[in-house]
Amino acid sequence: MTQERYMYKRLTFAYWTGLAALVLLAVSCSKNLPKERENVGDNSRFTTTVFQPVLGRTTFFQDNFFKGTTTFPATFKIVNPRRWNGLPAPELTDIFPVKVWKAAYDGNEKSVAEIEAKREIQYRPLFDIGEHSGTVTMWSESRAALIKPQPDSGYRFDVELSNSGGRKYFRDLKLQPFYERPFEPSNRDAITGQPVSNGVFPSGIRIKGTTKGRYLGPFDIQVYIRKVDRPGLSGNTLTFRFLDTLFNPIDPARFATTDWAHLVHGFNMRKTATEVTYDVAYPLPAITLPTRYTNTNGDRASVWFTFDRLGFGGFADNGLLALDFAIYEPGNWEIVFAFITDNPKFDND
Amino acid sequence: MHRMLMSINKLYDMRAIVHISLVLLLFAFQTERASAQGTVKVSGTVIDADSQTPMSGVTVSRGKETALNHLGQTDSIGRFTVSVPIGTNLIFSSIGFETVTLKAGNVVDSMRVVMKTKDNPMNQVVVQGLRQTKRELATGSSVTISGKEIQDIPAGNVMSLLQGRVAGVNIQNNTGSPGAMGTINIRGSSSIGVSSDGMLTPTSPLFVIDGVQVDVNSGYQYGYQTGSTGINPVSLIPPEDIESFEFLKDATATSQYGAKATYGVIIITTKRGRSKVPVVGYSANFFMNTPPRLRQVLGGAEERAIRLRTIMDYDTASPERSRQEINLIPYLTDSLNPYYNNSTNWQKYFYGNTFNQTHNISIYGGDRVFSYKTNLNYYKENGIIRNTGFTRYNINMNVTYEPTEKFKMIASLQGGLGTKQNGSGVGLFQTGVASGANASSLLPPPTLFSDNNSVLSSESIRDHNKTSNILSNLVIRYQLLQGLQLQNDLGYGFNSGTSDRFTPSFLNNGSSRAENYNDRNYSLTNRTMLSYVKSFGGEEKAHMVSAYMFNEVSSSGAKANTIFLSQTPDDQVEGPIGANGGNSKGGTTNMTDSRQHGYGGTVEYNYMSKYVLNFGYRLDGTSINGPSRGYTQSPTVSGRWNFGKESWFKNVSWLSYGGIRMGWGRNIRPSGNIFNVYGKYIYGPRYNNDPTVTIDFGNIPSPEFLPEIGSDITGALELGLFQNRVEVSLEPYYRSNDNQIIDIDLNNTNGFSRKATNTGSLVNQGIDWTFTFRIFKPERPLQWTVRLTGNYNKGTLTRLPDGSRELLQGISGSVPVIKRLGRNPISNLLYYTQGVYASTADVPVNPATGKRQQLGIGSGFYFQAGDPRWTDVNGDYIIDEKDLQPIGNPEPLFFGGLLNEFMLNRSLSLSINMAYVYKRDLLNTVTASDLQRYTRPLYFDVSGGGSLTPIDQYNYWKPLNADRSVGTEGAKYPNPFDFRRAGTLDPFRTNQTLFMEDGSYLKIGSIVLGYMVDRNFTQRFGISQLRVTLTANNVYTFSKYSGPNPENVTSLGRDVSGGYPSARSYAAGINVQF
Repeated sequence: MTQERYMYKRLTFAYWTGLAALVLLAVSCSKNLPKERENVGDNSRFTTTVFQPVLGRTTFFQDNFFKGTTTFPATFKIVNPRRWNGLPAPELTDIFPVKVWKAAYDGNEKSVAEIEAKREIQYRPLFDIGEHSGTVTMWSESRAALIKPQPDSGYRFDVELSNSGGRKYFRDLKLQPFYERPFEPSNRDAITGQPVSNGVFPSGIRIKGTTKGRYLGPFDIQVYIRKVDRPGLSGNTLTFRFLDTLFNPIDPARFATTDWAHLVHGFNMRKTATEVTYDVAYPLPAITLPTRYTNTNGDRASVWFTFDRLGFGGFADNGLLALDFAIYEPGNWEIVFAFITDNPKFDND
Repeated sequence: MHRMLMSINKLYDMRAIVHISLVLLLFAFQTERASAQGTVKVSGTVIDADSQTPMSGVTVSRGKETALNHLGQTDSIGRFTVSVPIGTNLIFSSIGFETVTLKAGNVVDSMRVVMKTKDNPMNQVVVQGLRQTKRELATGSSVTISGKEIQDIPAGNVMSLLQGRVAGVNIQNNTGSPGAMGTINIRGSSSIGVSSDGMLTPTSPLFVIDGVQVDVNSGYQYGYQTGSTGINPVSLIPPEDIESFEFLKDATATSQYGAKATYGVIIITTKRGRSKVPVVGYSANFFMNTPPRLRQVLGGAEERAIRLRTIMDYDTASPERSRQEINLIPYLTDSLNPYYNNSTNWQKYFYGNTFNQTHNISIYGGDRVFSYKTNLNYYKENGIIRNTGFTRYNINMNVTYEPTEKFKMIASLQGGLGTKQNGSGVGLFQTGVASGANASSLLPPPTLFSDNNSVLSSESIRDHNKTSNILSNLVIRYQLLQGLQLQNDLGYGFNSGTSDRFTPSFLNNGSSRAENYNDRNYSLTNRTMLSYVKSFGGEEKAHMVSAYMFNEVSSSGAKANTIFLSQTPDDQVEGPIGANGGNSKGGTTNMTDSRQHGYGGTVEYNYMSKYVLNFGYRLDGTSINGPSRGYTQSPTVSGRWNFGKESWFKNVSWLSYGGIRMGWGRNIRPSGNIFNVYGKYIYGPRYNNDPTVTIDFGNIPSPEFLPEIGSDITGALELGLFQNRVEVSLEPYYRSNDNQIIDIDLNNTNGFSRKATNTGSLVNQGIDWTFTFRIFKPERPLQWTVRLTGNYNKGTLTRLPDGSRELLQGISGSVPVIKRLGRNPISNLLYYTQGVYASTADVPVNPATGKRQQLGIGSGFYFQAGDPRWTDVNGDYIIDEKDLQPIGNPEPLFFGGLLNEFMLNRSLSLSINMAYVYKRDLLNTVTASDLQRYTRPLYFDVSGGGSLTPIDQYNYWKPLNADRSVGTEGAKYPNPFDFRRAGTLDPFRTNQTLFMEDGSYLKIGSIVLGYMVDRNFTQRFGISQLRVTLTANNVYTFSKYSGPNPENVTSLGRDVSGGYPSARSYAAGINVQF
């Protein structure tokens, strides 16, 4: 080996030694630094631990999880759903076709088809947890036939919360649903699901009775909300009927100033001397959103039947019969207003 | 031994004469042989090879280089006359020049001695710990910058000129306020502390100004590292008087400075006398400051039309409602009334060009036994914002007395006085001006009757701020035995600030306000040091051991008082009597006092200057430590290998020098305050009708409280190639700052609510690099030097209390920050914006509820076309604080600079300095507020609305159909006109990624053109040196950032429109020496 080659080798050696030392320094130091990762917080918890939805309607529980120091995105999963006796409850995890919204309902839809176009069938568990949000949904397709309602003690389940920071289980959350009550206001007992009265009462009334000349109160009127099965009805209809004390029909036209076109968010109105029928999309109201068809909260459809008459001394007397209601099941429904104590006075004094 | 002693003496001489970045290289050449015997009188002239001008003050001595016998010095025109035996070696030496040795021979008169500037970088003197050493022996990281580099540029604060010149030193001139200082961080910010108003706790290095420690981190206001009067102590140092800057970057170099040096040390040394004949120098600069390009705004009718259109189009209620709203605002309707018909250019009232000047006179002289210097400086800068400005008066004197080789004394005294007008702003924020300049052009111009009186307040507030300081330093050195020296350093700094401010009644709803503020702070350090040097190992003295130990006591304290008088009798009487006593108040607002004791030492061994090993140790006790914590240790271990000196490199001609070094060390910084340790006792409830003193239950005392500890490992590779025409320095480093204070909330059963814990840590790792290229050979008339500096730094948060992974901190009036383990220490907590919803149908719908995504839970506020598309991270169809994500890094990933210096014929010079920052996330709140003003068409004053900038420059959403459910695709900004919904939605909120931008920039910092007038010409007028300069500073910034200036932002990277813009300045200067 010549002197030059030898020197060259030594040189290279020195160069690489120096470089290696620098690289080693840079690399070795970062090895023990903590890595950035997400976190599952010790203080995170479900603020709602007992879920008591009513079957047969979509119930959406939100704001039920306190984030604490957990970082989002995180994943929520229902694990080990079980009946009260500890046996597994596949009915909570089995997949069913459920109707979900894919576009926003706003109350301005012009037809049933337009409303239906905003919904679609998806396959989901009836008791569903938001994958990243922890929100809990009971879909309207849930039925007491599938899911044990109260007075059964219900179900228990655990929720797994996980992200790259680890996982955490929230144990023994409870699901204690109620029997279906397909309409509101309901005449059914919440626990047994059985009717406890014939009908319900209207939300508002200002009508004079014919015989005694007094203003009728809500208890003078029975409202029957019921499913009917009559030929010629498409399956998603809503009919209003009015009965006098003798259960004879009252012509809806007597409620002369009623805004029939916008009474409910229904279409294809058919008005006869005995009833008024609309094609509608159930549930009614479609969502909890204040529209021209609902009460101010938006959670009930609101119907106002009105008429004007001249009262005693020529004063105007504006008659009103109002009902805030909700119907959750599809079907041919009718709402019957029965004047049971006195007949309404439509004529001028 | 004798030889050794002399070299040590020489070492200390240099220290005495200042830390000049130059060194002696013995350079000998033969002259013609002389044979005669006897004494001759030798005379001649010494000439500077660079400037070809005579050199005064050159020491002429004889003997061997190791045992010089002083003969005399050259006079003011470079002449010398000595009597020596024939054949004597005459040695000519001067600091910064290579030593010349000539033999006194036949030529005895008009001897011409040419001295060259030394340029071996390895022989530079650098500061390591408490002593100076040659760079080739240095085991720590330090960089020297000559004061000459920046002396031609007038500046209120000299540090602003050093931007980009030192690798690893990040200087951001984030305020243009005259007399203030930007942020300085060495190798990344070292703190995770953020103040409640959104300022990162400053981690400026410790300044050591002529031996006096000046800590600019304490007493800062608004986080901009400025004293409460808005004047930074460093601003009181005249740049013209600075000999050198020394930047100590790692613990190996700084740990011996003890506390406060954790974030690095910057040593500023002023000039010393070194001429036997007194030299009088005068320099002056006349400069013009111009404001940056001002914003374009719509004026008068144009603004009115936009406001009217917005209200009519987007008032959700009804046209009647809109008309009613409009009719209530005469600025919109009553354009026929001259009072309401305006097009006021507000910016013109606030910003303008200013003309300024600075003058400096220096007188110095002396010889080896006694030398002196006096420097007088005056600097006056009027701010580009009305009624602001800074004036500096400074006198700096020092003397060196060395009657024998055994005794030496250096004393220096510096007094500075700065005054400042803040206008309507406070300190650095010009909030009044910022909002005033943003006022609507429809408002009438400023008069006593107009609505907008920020102009008046910026003019009518009587405001006077003054800071004065005294820095004094006394060094006494005595040599006990050969190699054994005793030295005492005493440094005392005193700083006092006062601020008077009077707001007339018409500006403050009829009640005038007088505020008086005064503060003072001091620092006193005394250090006694015993040092010993011994070399041994045969003839060549291969082994050398040096050691020293020291004992240091220091104390510092500060106190601030404020008096506040409300409703003085009238606008002419500012008190003291007649004020409304009920509303007036006063008292001590801040008081600190701390003590520190440290002792330690170092031992260093080197073999043939090839292998160096250094051990250092220091113990510190501070009054802020918890009493049970005792003394804190700061050890260092470092070493160096100059592989270029190995024999196998002997014949390698291209390698001039080469070395690697590595060091580990740690250092402390007292943080927090005494209340953290002992608790705070406050006035309590009365007991038996006697007043009581009780403990403050806000913070629990923590006797375990620790100082902050910085520890680092630094390596380095230093290379000089091709006769030093290429120099390379690479320094990777890893630094951890532990024990940072984090307040944790205590369980409420505790009685106390909070505890200050030492539980925060962060790590900065990265690499500094410096490349220097001398493009042409040294003999060429044109010289071109390129220096490229840079730093890559990555900060990581490594510890939080109680095993937390993240910590959220709100900031009043701004975007909160989040500290997450493993990430960069401070991140913004933001909504992630993915454009704009082009149509309402694009908004996601909750499948369960059938409703569109909404803002906040249960708000009933649904997103629609034209709204920002914020990512719903948790998928609950609600945009709320759960969707905020830590995003962005306000610390730059890369920063550095590029310096180009040209020199032609040693008389004409051109220097261009550039600085860059790459990868830094800024929050552009300026664009945000520009757009926000569009959403407030009903408001004119500064709080609600204001001037409108041209909207066409923004790509914003525009509706395409009547009900505005469909609009432009791919818009960047949401609909700015939907003002009714904007009140809730706040589409231009700053906590979204829409306004997070890359703040990378390349800035042409300064251009200096200098010309040295021919000496033969100037000598006719008795002038030994005349230099004229033309300077432009803060010339241009290249950046993609859409806001005004990517540098003019807070330390958290937020573009605060209340900041003070940086001025561009053009200067003409002259420098004369007699």
